[in-house]
Amino acid sequence: MGSIMGIRHPIIRIFFYLILGAWSITVLYPLLWTLLDALKDNKQFYANPPWALPDVPLLWSNFTYVWETYNFGKYFTNSLIVTLGSTVLGLVLSATTAYVLARYPFRGSNVLFLLYISSMMVPFSLALIPLFFLMNKLNLINTSIGLILVYATTLIAFGVFVLVGFFKTLPKELEEAAAIDGASYFGTFFRVMLPLSQPGLVTVAIVNILNIWNEYFVGLVLVNDPDHYTLPIGIAVMQAEMQYRTEWGPLFAGLFISIVPVLIMYIFFQRQIASGITAGAVK
Amino acid sequence: MTSRHWQRNVFILTFILPTLILYCLFMVYPIIQALYYSLFDWSGSSENKDFIGLKNFVDLMHDPIMWQAIGNDYFLVAGKMIGIMLLATFFAVSLTRFRLKFALFFRSIFFIPNIISVVVIGVLWAFIYNPQIGFLNSILSLITGTEVKTAWLGFPFHTIWMLLPPSIWAGIGFYMILLIAAIQGIPESYYEASSLEGAGQWHQFTHITLPLIWEQIKVSVLNIMMTTLNGSFVIVMIMTNGGPDNSTQVMGSYLYQMAFQQFHFGYGAAIGVVILIMSLITTVALQRIMRQETVEMN
Repeated sequence: MGSIMGIRHPIIRIFFYLILGAWSITVLYPLLWTLLDALKDNKQFYANPPWALPDVPLLWSNFTYVWETYNFGKYFTNSLIVTLGSTVLGLVLSATTAYVLARYPFRGSNVLFLLYISSMMVPFSLALIPLFFLMNKLNLINTSIGLILVYATTLIAFGVFVLVGFFKTLPKELEEAAAIDGASYFGTFFRVMLPLSQPGLVTVAIVNILNIWNEYFVGLVLVNDPDHYTLPIGIAVMQAEMQYRTEWGPLFAGLFISIVPVLIMYIFFQRQIASGITAGAVK
Repeated sequence: MTSRHWQRNVFILTFILPTLILYCLFMVYPIIQALYYSLFDWSGSSENKDFIGLKNFVDLMHDPIMWQAIGNDYFLVAGKMIGIMLLATFFAVSLTRFRLKFALFFRSIFFIPNIISVVVIGVLWAFIYNPQIGFLNSILSLITGTEVKTAWLGFPFHTIWMLLPPSIWAGIGFYMILLIAAIQGIPESYYEASSLEGAGQWHQFTHITLPLIWEQIKVSVLNIMMTTLNGSFVIVMIMTNGGPDNSTQVMGSYLYQMAFQQFHFGYGAAIGVVILIMSLITTVALQRIMRQETVEMN
């Protein structure tokens, strides 16, 4: 009786808390031992079980080692440039198109919308073979610009989809008022509509930043010069090399370096990430 | 008036064209080209490019690795659908309908695996499975009292099973958030009315929650299918690289191996086309199946 109030029975409540607590541990514990194991040397990995705490003094030098010797500093910078570049470009490309599709429909605008959305259905690995040769021809293999252009293109579908929906919710009177005041179409967009659509833009940007920061496959195909590796490629290459030279501590330090920025972003932008998921999934 | 009309057209074109041009160049054109390349025997250089019609597809039909890969793909699709949907629904209901404390805290925690790169997840789980120093063997050694040295990623058969836990672990949060939003959209009065009639939690779940979030469950199932067929190869490439002996190969990793490691670009493109066909057919099939389910419910 009265299950509108949730679960009342104390023992059943404890049971659920135990399950939720257990899952929290399976989620959080790997992050914790990534950090702890990043502070060990090889000897500790082989002599002690993986859950053992690292010996004192802690080997913080693993971080500087992987940052410098394994070039993670460079990979980090590359990831940062590519992620920010493609997020900004992707946002510009999708916001402009989404605004026109939402507010100034023309003949064929529905077809255009479907053309963008349909790419969410197509496996991108199919496009990668021709893309590799195209980028080669354009001299864009092993360049940040090349990666930015391709990543930004992959972001269009999601951006257009979410932002068309967002622009449609903004009141039309604002544009009419701006037009009466003599504002041009461009002026209306940049001075009136863009500031108002900030929540939608932030949501799309955050989701895109996460996706590109973590992206591996496109980077693997379009970049084979270590100078242009992004973090996921650097990690994969380092892991593959572990067969020949085992440096577990530095590997975990590398993993941790890649996790920290997205974790910080998540702490600040949880709400936007959640709304991005719900907005993007209503197909 | 006409000048305003002209301005409008200029505005529309400036806002539409750059996006459209880039999209056609880096998305539409490569996809169409891939369909075309799949009809060629091609090693990457322009001299060795022979039109062979559908021969790549005929060869694929007789390629045992492709069937193995398709089997693995659908194994992962089915395993992830069951594992992720059961746990995501369980967590979503627990964190909304049960009125438990710290629900927001649990929700934030459970989403964390979704913000981490699949590459990182693959490396972490490969370490869990590591025969010498991994978590799994260390725990088993502790429990059994003898030293366990199982190579969890090296079985000749069924190694693909080992890729299921990381895939489910990494996927739950996203769908949980989706279902939580759906459950929160259900009017509280529905639950009030049924609880006045004495309905318990389970009855409310099957009679109110489940039917009313069925649309989101459908979207989730389709999304799991699509992301698995189009993206599960990353975790395969990181954890097993398709091995041992191609037993964990999936279509995406096979495409990469054929095209970019063995330079059979035409064959690789044909594999890509098969992936596309697989995801289209499966989408239609799943929509059919789940539409019938909805009818049964009413």
